[in-house]
Amino acid sequence: MANSNLPRRIIKETQRLLSEPAPGISASPSEENMRYFNVMILGPTQSPYEGGVFKLELFLPEEYPMAPPKVRFLTKIYHPNIDKLGRICLDILKDKWSPALQIRTVLLSIQALLSAPNPDDPLSDNVAKHWKANETEAVETAKEWTRLYATGA
Amino acid sequence: MTLGSSGGSSVVVPRNFRLLEELERGEKGIGDGSVSYGMDDADDIFMRSWTGTIIGPHNTVHEGRIYQLKLFCDKDYPDKPPTVRFHSRINMNCVSHDNGMVDPKKFGLLANWQREYSMEDILTQLRKEMASAQNRKLVQPPEGTFF
Repeated sequence: MANSNLPRRIIKETQRLLSEPAPGISASPSEENMRYFNVMILGPTQSPYEGGVFKLELFLPEEYPMAPPKVRFLTKIYHPNIDKLGRICLDILKDKWSPALQIRTVLLSIQALLSAPNPDDPLSDNVAKHWKANETEAVETAKEWTRLYATGA
Repeated sequence: MTLGSSGGSSVVVPRNFRLLEELERGEKGIGDGSVSYGMDDADDIFMRSWTGTIIGPHNTVHEGRIYQLKLFCDKDYPDKPPTVRFHSRINMNCVSHDNGMVDPKKFGLLANWQREYSMEDILTQLRKEMASAQNRKLVQPPEGTFF
């Protein structure tokens, strides 16, 4: 079997992700690389992303769980903490990572970030400026992008 | 059965995360700056088109020249090498005189490509090639002309 020397921790986490998925989140490993996950996150209700299905990719580097997973959005999204390449500004993906966290907690945190954009710690300067200058309008743009890029067949 | 083909480690970094690593490394700036690269289209989520720069090595006909190259990383990168094409005109034995393409048959790093190689390795190796015996003294087209 491929990936036969996959660490036990990763196997356990994967099994649990598949058997008890968190609400609004799905994550499944790719067939050829068990450290590489296809992820879907549903836009949280009462957020500008409601109704959207967001595709992400996640990779567990060799150092995992001593180093955090790498995650990015593949679906275009208008959010002050997510840049054009889908990279995410989230403390637990960087200096606040702890091996006590898991794939599940990371994905739940990303889902929470969609409900609570934080323009004071931006990754995307233009979006953050927009958010601070005119939040109503920025939220409208985020809804528009959700319709354009995160819905559909 | 896919065992780790690269010895030791069996962890395979997927294409997109590999290119993100290369992007970050390129943004920080590499070594003394004699080679550099960056992404062409900041909106391209698949990070396909890149521009590389090589500063001609000392004590060669290339000294003081700045060469621009186009690198294209397809969906199968880094399992397969990118296509590499000089944008700046250059006379070099592994480069097509017609369109600036680097011929993989004449450039070992592409011919014997391994997944661990990066765009930085390609640029660094091309720069070494410029200083090789067969290339260092070749008559060059006027500076600042393009394919």
